[in-house]
Amino acid sequence: MSTLLQKLTLDDWNEQYATLHQQGMKEPFYGGPLCRHVLDGDTRLEKLEFDPSPAALRLWNLLLTEEQRLHTARRQGRHIVGTMKDLGTIPVLAHAFPNILPFYPDGAWWTPCIMEMNDALLHVADRLGIDETFCPVRAMLAAFVTQKHFPIPDLLICSAGAVCDDFSAIVQRLHDMGHPVHWWDIPHRREPAPNEVSVQLPGGCIAPQTQITFVASELKRVADALSELAGTPLDLNQLTATIQRINKVRKRLLSLREKVFLASHSPLPALELHIAEMLSIHFCSDLTETEAVLDDLLAEVDRRINTQQGFTSTDAIRVFWVNPVADLRLMNRLENLGGRLCGTDFMFTHAIDPIPESPPPLEALAQSALADPMVGPTQDRARRILRDARTFAAEALVICRIPGASHCATEGPQLADTIRAELGIPCIEIEVPPIEDALDGSIRTKLEALLETARSNRRDR
Amino acid sequence: MKIVAGMDAGSRKIKAVLYDVHKNEMIAQASCDQGLKQSELARGLLHDLLDSKDLTAADLHYTVATGYGRNAISEANATRTEITCHALGVRALMPEVRTIIDIGGQDSKLIRVDENGKMTDFVMNDRCAAGTGRFLEVVADRLQLPLHAIGSIRSENVAPVTISSMCVVFAETEIVSLMAAGTPAADIAAGVRYAIASRIATMAGRSLDAPIALTGGVALLEGMDHTLAEVLETHVNVPPHPRFTGALGAALLAAKAI
Repeated sequence: MSTLLQKLTLDDWNEQYATLHQQGMKEPFYGGPLCRHVLDGDTRLEKLEFDPSPAALRLWNLLLTEEQRLHTARRQGRHIVGTMKDLGTIPVLAHAFPNILPFYPDGAWWTPCIMEMNDALLHVADRLGIDETFCPVRAMLAAFVTQKHFPIPDLLICSAGAVCDDFSAIVQRLHDMGHPVHWWDIPHRREPAPNEVSVQLPGGCIAPQTQITFVASELKRVADALSELAGTPLDLNQLTATIQRINKVRKRLLSLREKVFLASHSPLPALELHIAEMLSIHFCSDLTETEAVLDDLLAEVDRRINTQQGFTSTDAIRVFWVNPVADLRLMNRLENLGGRLCGTDFMFTHAIDPIPESPPPLEALAQSALADPMVGPTQDRARRILRDARTFAAEALVICRIPGASHCATEGPQLADTIRAELGIPCIEIEVPPIEDALDGSIRTKLEALLETARSNRRDR
Repeated sequence: MKIVAGMDAGSRKIKAVLYDVHKNEMIAQASCDQGLKQSELARGLLHDLLDSKDLTAADLHYTVATGYGRNAISEANATRTEITCHALGVRALMPEVRTIIDIGGQDSKLIRVDENGKMTDFVMNDRCAAGTGRFLEVVADRLQLPLHAIGSIRSENVAPVTISSMCVVFAETEIVSLMAAGTPAADIAAGVRYAIASRIATMAGRSLDAPIALTGGVALLEGMDHTLAEVLETHVNVPPHPRFTGALGAALLAAKAI
């Protein structure tokens, strides 16, 4: 007999928190009720529905207290490094230095959503000439100006080349404002020529060895910049150990995803899974707590699977979701309309695949960096999505566009065409702004129609 | 007599259809302008429609609502998206159709159906009114013409202008410039019809399976089907009562539910 679990509103969570406390719930140092974040301005939480478990509470609290931890680290004399654009590679390198704490300023792209635009970050970015034609990561630029969020990093490390041009423009602006930036180059991943030595990357793509060698040399330059900041040389043994530790995090995430996607009832809501996947990029500036949060989530998911508990019915339409949502409420919406996640590609799948442990560590990191879906051709990304959508028996696909994110302009139709042709499942593209309320009717109709179409296909099969 | 209703609360009009389940036929249809009090407007429309057939709400066995305002219709027993409803409505009228182009007041949709009439995929416009009826309203207002005249206005040697802007607001600016330059209204109106057709073709992206049906309020515009046919390079059919296909689909779902 299966049990359909109910998500909680923020008000519900207050009661749940009191109950859990009475029952002796133990919390980490950043624990506390979810509602306190609303007092900090995170008002979007009042419109979301949450997983009711202590494990999920811990996840949310880890996410929403990152800035406090960064400020504490600064006071403790640690070097703060902003790692930008590469999505998952440089934080690994930086964590190999004991007195450096890397974080991901791009994470501010969710702040306008979480704070329902009350932070005015996008307006500040507008005034700096980085307007709505740019990706919402422009909120990060404004956060550097207002200094009301993360501490200003001692060093910024940003990849350029085959990555987002919006991002380069934003970081160039930061450079002009006097923030030290170390740039490193990542080439467009290409097919190896015949007779060219090639290497299989994490995730299955192939790249020429020459590109890997080049990226490894770029990462050596980054390591040198970090060494200079840290005042200690890079210890390759330490880097190897860091890679092994981070692989454990990635394997936990892979396991979590697989359990959630394959379970008959989704044992973790889409919203919490989305947040958890984001941990793979930068660990919310706390690797140890990331490990603990994922362990708790895995234990909770295992318990629910064993007791046949979940947040979606067995009848829910299995949806593969491509790209992160600017407005987190969409994740709730999918489930409320009768869908569930059965696969995701949030643009950083390379940061979930384990980093190879056999090659020398910089070369291994180079392989991981070159596996980034954004630095390769769209068809490589499409192949991976196709593979995963097939594995997890997707019945529909959503390609979520981010307003102003230019690399999405032609990618969506190519991905959709591939999936339609190969799997014959309905696909939609939706553009989701940081606050989707005004477009809610249109987005809701598209999602609902997608689920209706998939349901109709299911009946026919 | 077993009567069900389908209601389509669109952005510009609310449409209602009464359907006789035993006879398998639409027995009445009507529409009214959309407004702030959607629920009351819909209730009034349904009441009037029932009244026109000497029926009352008690005679109604089931109602399905569709359209962007579907959740505001309190009379509805169930709701479905307009995409599903248009597919069902067109299938009932033209079973051979494989692609439906629905151009409504605020959005446009392209719906693909298979040989069994089952919807297999769809595309909807995104945050842009350039391929919708709203574009026509803006232009008619600028040209000081009634809306239907955007289709009917003709001249002997019509030379459609090119509207290059992808946005209705900027397109309006272009039209103001064209008017200032003395461009005939017929040429502007033809240009606008081509602009809408081009947006639809862009949305289609790849080849469309024929036969194609055009539905929605814009299908009533004289010449719109021919312009679309020219741009898509294939014949475009307009079913009877093209504005009511969504409501009809909703009524068919209602009939199935009882």
